[in-house]
Amino acid sequence: MFNELNQILRVFKRNKLAVVAFFIAVLLVILAVIGPFIAPYDPVEINLSARFEPGFWGGNTENLLGTDNLGRDIFSRILHGTGISLKVGYAVIAITAVVGLFIGLVSGYFGGVVDIVIMRFIDILLAFPPLLLALVIAATLGTGIEKAMLAIAIIYIPSLARIVRGSVFTVKEMPYVEASRAMGAGNTWIIIGHVLPNVLTPVIVYLTLLLGDAILYTAALGFLGVGIDPTTPEWGAMLSSGKDFLILGKWWITLFPGMMIFLAVLSFNLFGDGLREAVDSKLRMN
Amino acid sequence: MALYRYFLKRLALTIPTLLGVSIIVFLLIHMIPGDPIDIMLGDRVTEAARLALEERLGLNEPLHIQYWQWFTSALHGDFGISIRSNQPVMEEILTRLPATIELTVVALLIAVFFGIYFGVSAARYRNTLIDQSLIGFSLLGVSIPIFWLGMMLIYLFAVMLGWLPVSGRLSMGVAIPTYTGLYLIDSLIAGQIGSFIDSVRHLLMPAVSLATVSLALVVRVTRSSMLDVLSEDYIRTARAKGVQERKVVYTHALKNAMIPVATVIGLQLAKLMGGAILTETVFSWPGIGRLLVSAINVRDYPVVQGVVFFVAFAFIAINIIVDLIYAYLDPRIRYE
Repeated sequence: MFNELNQILRVFKRNKLAVVAFFIAVLLVILAVIGPFIAPYDPVEINLSARFEPGFWGGNTENLLGTDNLGRDIFSRILHGTGISLKVGYAVIAITAVVGLFIGLVSGYFGGVVDIVIMRFIDILLAFPPLLLALVIAATLGTGIEKAMLAIAIIYIPSLARIVRGSVFTVKEMPYVEASRAMGAGNTWIIIGHVLPNVLTPVIVYLTLLLGDAILYTAALGFLGVGIDPTTPEWGAMLSSGKDFLILGKWWITLFPGMMIFLAVLSFNLFGDGLREAVDSKLRMN
Repeated sequence: MALYRYFLKRLALTIPTLLGVSIIVFLLIHMIPGDPIDIMLGDRVTEAARLALEERLGLNEPLHIQYWQWFTSALHGDFGISIRSNQPVMEEILTRLPATIELTVVALLIAVFFGIYFGVSAARYRNTLIDQSLIGFSLLGVSIPIFWLGMMLIYLFAVMLGWLPVSGRLSMGVAIPTYTGLYLIDSLIAGQIGSFIDSVRHLLMPAVSLATVSLALVVRVTRSSMLDVLSEDYIRTARAKGVQERKVVYTHALKNAMIPVATVIGLQLAKLMGGAILTETVFSWPGIGRLLVSAINVRDYPVVQGVVFFVAFAFIAINIIVDLIYAYLDPRIRYE
């Protein structure tokens, strides 16, 4: 196990872009944790006497990135937003992992009618364009970050369940599973002890590649104002509130939150790509 | 297997999916918090009026009967009446559909045409500055939030430079007779060159921002597929025979590099349909994406239900067509 990790790490380190992306991603995680403590202002505090203040480019040292249409400090909102986006991203991963693994394991291991019913249902979910599905589910569940997490996770659960099911089909025919069953092991024991550990690699790769995408969908829901309260300092919601003021030349309300979304998605995607490459090369070597 | 038998098999598999999609859409919309009667009549309403409306809308029936009534009418193209506008939902969809089709098709054409061209160029000039900048572009392009890109384009080209209009499909005072609803085509049929240019100017930024992610992916896949093909023996043979380099690249190599590219292009349709919801919101583009978002915001349930089912239906139909095209391009698929 340790040897394998070393091997993956060696290949990963050769990809300079992925390494840089990894450090930016770590930086974002740190920012998400300490952001609320270093933010100079309350992110939702309205100050109508300080609307549309330009930031450092206008010599403003109090609001580095300026203020928005309600006089809220954009820098503070972005710092708080980092936590929100990352929290949603990781929660989506966790929900997708738990539910997707469970469905995939059950469907693949037991097969038969259970498998047919589950797979039909998954086909139905995959028949929707992903954003449309998230949008309708978010609308149904109502407003709230936790509900948005669920709405976005539903985009990925079907694909992950399919991946897991495919791997389970191969693993359950392996001699060690036979052996364990011959020794009298029950289904739960076999699934958790033998099948699960051997299907984890593709799952981890899928989940790493999903983070950037999930952050993008979160911002999209925030931007459309569905499922996420428009006053929260979520990056997409910030873009939405700045949209109407672009024609008045107030570019900073939309520029900075958008750059953060871009940076986060880009770094998580590049990191995920690098990791997948490294894991793939290890699999090929075996 | 003959192509038409493959088609029939594919079509038969669609029926349960379609039924499932309709049930999910119906149930989800019914679970949305809030009573549709309250929205239609306000809260100051007599019990008699409430019951009368419930009866008229069939809301007093059991859920499975309501579903069946809705589904059978939907199959006839009847999605009910919009709460907000009092118009038939189908009419609301059909008046906005051409705008969405125009936007997505033009975006797809941009992604395919420029994507293949850039991808081929990158492979042809491998490891040069051209290649590296195209790789850089495709890395950035797949991660960019298109709604933000759209807004930045608006600021740059509409607000700062004033070259392009901020939003909408046409300038005030420009009218185009309706034949297809696609302004690019209608204006040409009517011989109105001025209107044609006006609609191109409105379409440019939305289509480019919608196309970006797909364009970047097509560049990436075309490049790697071309690199594989260009190292094949028959390419060397063609060059050795003295075939012109342009011809080697665009006919010998590209034709064989197309199968992975076609797969990626097929997958882009879902992305573009989702992306259209965002792009239409950014550019106030009067399509069905914007209809859906505004219907969600004012809780116009019949419209939400109708649009979601319509789009899912269209998506399933498009996927069948894409599969048929693959089966035609690559006969091996039919035998799987």
